[in-house]
Amino acid sequence: MIALLRTEFVKATRRIRTLVVFALLVGLPLLIVLAIHSHNPGRGPDEGPGLFRLARQSGLLIPAAVLSVTSGFLLVVIAGTFAGDSVAGDSAWGNLRYLLMRPVPRGRLLVAKAIVAAVLIWLSTFLVVGAALVIGVIMFGAHPVTFPGLAFLRGVEVFQLSESTIIWRVFVATSYVAFGFSALLALGLLFSVLTDMAASAILATAGIYIVSEILDGIPQLGRIRYLFPTHYLDSWEPMFVNNRYPHDMLAGIAVQVGYLAVFGTAALVYFRRKDIRS
Amino acid sequence: MTDPTREPIVEIDGLWKSFGSVPAVEDLSFSVHRGQVYGLLGPNGAGKTTTLRVLMGLERATRGETRLFGTRVTPGCRELVRVGAMVEQAAFVPHLSGMRNLRLWWEAGGRRMRDADLDGALAIAGLGKAIDRNVKTYSQGMKQRLGFARLLLGRPELLVLDEPTNGLDPGEIREIRELIARLSAQGATVLLSSHHLSEVEQVCSHVIVMNRGRLVADGTVSDLVGSAGSVYVEVDDRERGRQVLAALPGVGRIQMQGDGVVVELQDGRRSDVAAALVAAGLRLETIMPTQRLEDAFLDLLASGDGSTPINAVEAS
Repeated sequence: MIALLRTEFVKATRRIRTLVVFALLVGLPLLIVLAIHSHNPGRGPDEGPGLFRLARQSGLLIPAAVLSVTSGFLLVVIAGTFAGDSVAGDSAWGNLRYLLMRPVPRGRLLVAKAIVAAVLIWLSTFLVVGAALVIGVIMFGAHPVTFPGLAFLRGVEVFQLSESTIIWRVFVATSYVAFGFSALLALGLLFSVLTDMAASAILATAGIYIVSEILDGIPQLGRIRYLFPTHYLDSWEPMFVNNRYPHDMLAGIAVQVGYLAVFGTAALVYFRRKDIRS
Repeated sequence: MTDPTREPIVEIDGLWKSFGSVPAVEDLSFSVHRGQVYGLLGPNGAGKTTTLRVLMGLERATRGETRLFGTRVTPGCRELVRVGAMVEQAAFVPHLSGMRNLRLWWEAGGRRMRDADLDGALAIAGLGKAIDRNVKTYSQGMKQRLGFARLLLGRPELLVLDEPTNGLDPGEIREIRELIARLSAQGATVLLSSHHLSEVEQVCSHVIVMNRGRLVADGTVSDLVGSAGSVYVEVDDRERGRQVLAALPGVGRIQMQGDGVVVELQDGRRSDVAAALVAAGLRLETIMPTQRLEDAFLDLLASGDGSTPINAVEAS
């Protein structure tokens, strides 16, 4: 299994596309930090959502701000690419049949591909956050942060987060977001074994998450939204803006585990019975 | 004690494969024994590739079963380690070099590179420094050669080759044919699918003819070619040769043609003709069927529309 993991990891990481993605994830925080740095503070509503409003106080908060803007689309597309391409990529090259004739057991191959895709998803999430942390500290320094930034408002609890608390919560938030793509990983694997066209699998995977986000914004759908894979994706933000670990994070983890179990099993069962015709 | 040459390496037993309601292979049975070079012939859509895919565990049989080395084939079964296969065109990870492709493919099976016959495989690939270039820069011929290198890494006992010379130029085709002949001489068993009749005729000892998913004929190439035809013979004394053959049982009409004679065989075999001429003290220069595999193949397809299996020749 170790050898198979190594070969799959080499195949994935030696692609130009993967390197471009990683470069983008390092470069994007730089653009965001430059935008924040060049912005003249004190213009009220134009300063953006809470984390961005506070980001100038401390570079340690930049990662959380970057995570909040990338987890909704950019990381979804990247994670969808890694998951959707995992099996369908080999199918499209015609290489899958040669792996299976080696022979590599199908279940083992799918598990190896799932692990590699998961590692790349986690790596991407931590890469964008890590880059944001380094660039943020360089530009704004590492200081405690006082929440909320608009302390003059009456009736609003004011609290301060120390440097170590912020770093720990950034780590927890990043892990939570990375785990929040588990449903996407499972769906991507399923689409990846259903089709031999990598682009279709990637589009379907990322598309489901984007549709889920859109539908999640419709309150009339009621409680069914709680089962959407994206519903709890932002549940980590109260760790910063409300100074508490929200219960919604546990619900979010439960939903992701459910998707992972159901769609991961479906992918495995289908792949083991599939006629390989590519 | 069992004769190892009679041990079936490949067994296809009552194989049916359908895609939805469309049958691709119907009630196909044959076996390949150790050391044989079997050609799987048939027009496009005959079911050759589907049969090989089922044999290699890529597709599941609708009914019946396939066995390799006596073990029932299931997806990923261990017996596949003993097989070197090229199903349709050779395919690789395009953004990796030829060498890295070979290494990763081998190591994916859980084996160390030092266990592979890398030097032998690289000699066969003959790619020189191009082995370190990304595969996406290779021509189709280079990919096919690299494909051969890959399938030979494990010194396989059985080669399963599906249209191995597709996309190759005449020089490369000759190289591949010579390679197959060499591997066969070294003891490898070969199952070769092709619709290039001359290729099968030159390389294979036995042939299976399929049409519309069904078995049409199964036997040796020489039997198939000589089963309904005549032979062309050249000896040092043509007139005396004609007299010898005229007295031979199982021989019909004899015609002079060029430097030799064409002998119509009714019951006799080519080996009988050759033996009689040699026994008469004549020097046998040439003996070959006037009917080629192509003629026999087309006759078979014309005589049986594929709806009924015809055992055209008896397997020797």
